[in-house]
Amino acid sequence: MARVWQLLLFVLIMAVLIGLPPLLGAGLQNAMTNMLIAALFAMAFNLLMGQGGMLSFGHAAFYGVGAFAVMHLMTAIDRGGLSFPTPLLPLAGAAAGLLVGLVTGWFATLRSGVYFALVTLALAEMLHSLAPHWEGLFGGEAGISSMRMPWGGFIFGQVIEIYYLTLIWVTLSIGLLYAYTRTPFGRLTLALRDNEERVRFMGYDAHATKMIVFAVSATFAGIAGGLLAVSNEQANYELFGTHVSAQVVLHTFVGGSTVFFGPAIGAAIFTLFAYLVSDVSRSWLLYQGVIFVLVMLYAPLGIGGVVMLHLRHWASIPWQRMVGPYAGATAATLLMAIGTVMVVEFLEALFSPHYVAQRRQAETSWPAFERFGASWEPFGILTWGPPLLLLIVGLLILLRLRHRIVALWDEVQETAETAARSGV
Amino acid sequence: MREDRVLDLRGIAKSFGSARILEGVELTVGRGERHAIIGPNGAGKSTLFNLISGQFSPTSGSILLNGREIAGRPPHQINRMGLSRSFQITNIYHRLSVFENLRLGVMARHGLRFSLFRRVAALRAVNEESEALLQRIRLEDRRDRPAGDLTYSEQRALEIGMTLATAPEVILLDEPTAGMSQEETHYVIELIREVTKGKTLLVVEHDMNVVFSLCDRISVLVYGELLATGTPEEIRANRAVQEAYLGEEVA
Amino acid sequence: MLEFIIISTLNGVTYGLLLFMVSAGLTLIFGMMGVLNFAHASFYMLGAYIAYSITRTIDFWIGLLVAPLLVGLLGMLVERYLLRRVHRYGHAHELLLTFGLAFIFEELIKLFYGDFPVNYSMPAYLRFPAFSLFGADYPFYRLFIGLVAIGMFVLLYILLSRTRVGLVVRAAERLPSMAEALGHNVPLVFMGVFGVGAALAGLGGAVAGAFFPTNPNMALELGVIVFVVVVVGGLGSIEGSLVASLMIGVFSSFAVGLNWSLARLLDLVGLGDWARELGGLMTLTLSSISGTVPFLLMLIVLLVRPAGLFGERN
Repeated sequence: MARVWQLLLFVLIMAVLIGLPPLLGAGLQNAMTNMLIAALFAMAFNLLMGQGGMLSFGHAAFYGVGAFAVMHLMTAIDRGGLSFPTPLLPLAGAAAGLLVGLVTGWFATLRSGVYFALVTLALAEMLHSLAPHWEGLFGGEAGISSMRMPWGGFIFGQVIEIYYLTLIWVTLSIGLLYAYTRTPFGRLTLALRDNEERVRFMGYDAHATKMIVFAVSATFAGIAGGLLAVSNEQANYELFGTHVSAQVVLHTFVGGSTVFFGPAIGAAIFTLFAYLVSDVSRSWLLYQGVIFVLVMLYAPLGIGGVVMLHLRHWASIPWQRMVGPYAGATAATLLMAIGTVMVVEFLEALFSPHYVAQRRQAETSWPAFERFGASWEPFGILTWGPPLLLLIVGLLILLRLRHRIVALWDEVQETAETAARSGV
Repeated sequence: MREDRVLDLRGIAKSFGSARILEGVELTVGRGERHAIIGPNGAGKSTLFNLISGQFSPTSGSILLNGREIAGRPPHQINRMGLSRSFQITNIYHRLSVFENLRLGVMARHGLRFSLFRRVAALRAVNEESEALLQRIRLEDRRDRPAGDLTYSEQRALEIGMTLATAPEVILLDEPTAGMSQEETHYVIELIREVTKGKTLLVVEHDMNVVFSLCDRISVLVYGELLATGTPEEIRANRAVQEAYLGEEVA
Repeated sequence: MLEFIIISTLNGVTYGLLLFMVSAGLTLIFGMMGVLNFAHASFYMLGAYIAYSITRTIDFWIGLLVAPLLVGLLGMLVERYLLRRVHRYGHAHELLLTFGLAFIFEELIKLFYGDFPVNYSMPAYLRFPAFSLFGADYPFYRLFIGLVAIGMFVLLYILLSRTRVGLVVRAAERLPSMAEALGHNVPLVFMGVFGVGAALAGLGGAVAGAFFPTNPNMALELGVIVFVVVVVGGLGSIEGSLVASLMIGVFSSFAVGLNWSLARLLDLVGLGDWARELGGLMTLTLSSISGTVPFLLMLIVLLVRPAGLFGERN
């Protein structure tokens, strides 16, 4: 992507992130704070995964450690009378992440592949099982809570203040992560992913290098956790749980781990999606899982990767012929999505305790249920017909268009290859 | 003369479990020498390279590089001591550009191993050296392509370039012309001759024409043992070598 | 004291055998296909829930028989239509896919059965004591779980070592391309192994779910322990997972009832009170860290000898 466009996009996104929140309600502002934190966490995770080639299943460990470190500092300020600028609280998260990252990184990077992933899982689970019993360090089962203290004229009581504080920290952190990719060590990280053996034979100590990459990733994960603590004013052992490690993995791969901003995109989409949908449906985690699996099966590069692919081949894509199939595929996907949502929501309604109670009270054994502001008969063809129709029609359209799109992309590949061969 | 020995292998033996791969190998390589290691498949040539470059440690024996023991040291240490190797199966950073592949070696030589606070684009000496190396291996017009996109022989040339990037004194090339046509072989041999001027070279090769035209001395490895060492003429005339390996045509 | 030891041992062994039922499939799948199936414990959970539904509508024993079969079928479908599709992207990708599936299975269970435990329990006539020890009754059903696991192990052993099918499976594990060259349908073998592994986990769920709580969290709770077992025993080794399961089962059972702590140990040299004042690590009891020790063990094994107790050094 040309420099000008990149800059324009950056300015646009920053303008939205800075200018939009004051116009929103506190709930959305909080959601956006969480979105930023999730984005940073995913970017930190991907430093290790997408750039370093090391898949971690226990990144919650550093996230949690960062949060607890900040909570302790907050408690020291709040009750211990320590004087420390509130906006700098996440530094404690960074320090804790760095320290724990160095120590655990030394061990973890002794192994690679699935063994490495299992080491990280073991470490996180150790913390997860130990924390509820350790009152001093982790506040036992209840965790640690405190309050943000005013500083420098700011009270830090409103959600919008916390949002801007988070925005500053996340922007700076992601900026640093970007700068990292431009350093010699950042390039070495990529080489490590591609061919660890060769790195050794070029005179680099691969183990020490991996450990440093691990520690940097942990540091930024610690900042993310620290920001969470600042926002929530509490932290407990659940932060070390597998669900937290799982979420960051989902975000990263849906967004695309091969593209720098991919994880942030994935995190943004999923957290906003979760916020908007969770009031309306109880099945949003299921939708997340389904989207993740579909991405893994059909778009392994993730959303960011697919976007990058298009940008890279922009000139060679036969847009006139592509627009039709793309529009059709989008429409078909939408139809299938609606159909799926209808089926899931109907099932959810039919199996809910609410409906079970409804059945006991009603005269007929299978009364109508409510969804989407309408009444539906459990065994009616008007209930199941539409979604199944949408699913089938959508699927048929997709199957037909698939060949067309694949053929068009084969053309693009060929154009690219001929260009490469002729030295263009 | 002892001072001219760059590489000195004494009593090298290597077993993997009960399998004896190398036995009693004694080998010396002089400064500036071009030394070939030949032998039938499974003779242990690659294992020998792996021992010298630090992939494995010998079961017994010692390896001296400029008089210093390197047996059992990790690969990165041996590389820093001035020895670099290429691989039989191309071992490049396939997702990075050709330029970047070379630059990584140059960075290592400049000691930039944990450099987190500089912009790599601003490292003038490193970038200039990388460009020069790119020219020497004649891949300038492939500069920004992902290394994985190159043709096979281009990748082999890159492989050699990466080996040279750390400015080693001793270069080990593992079957550099494997899988190449006559034309490509000729090209690569000329390249090797040029870029290894003044350095010490140890090559594993199967192509006898390459060996006889490129190298000053040859060692023959058969079933893990060193059968003979000498100049090309001596080896050609050696009875045992003829029987075991060369066959009547070349003799 | 003696009572505690005997009861804990019995509990530990039966729990360990249950762990084995679930981990045997996982280790078999990893050893053969190189895939660490994150959704394996989900098969355990699905077995429990399906058995629950069948028990409620038809019969308990039919549930025990049919649930594993259905789960096994699901396993085969997962391998054939999902896992195989991402095979070309590498092991990490397959792992991530199973990870996503585990997520989906958990949410589907919550969708159909609710986000709370269900009352899956054994029929009344199985609720008798096996024997009486020190005045307390020891439930027969606990022993039943163990018996099923032993029966399964014997069957598996005979199948793998004495039958032709077993021979083909073992060949496909060692050298899949060779086995294929010899004319065996290796993809079919993979599908079959995955299915059998899933079915075993499903059987474990069907049997254990009637005794232990059946809730949407059971996959996660058991899942991580099963990973510990498989790593400690050695990825790919069935004997290893048997030994490791028993080890961890017995340890967990004992540890849960012991209030030992470093402070109590230091009591012996008179430093107990000092330790108690320090708090933190010093006052942590064995019972509270009983959940942590298996992970510590897993970590130690991974760092010192990744092949585990019985695994092959790769």
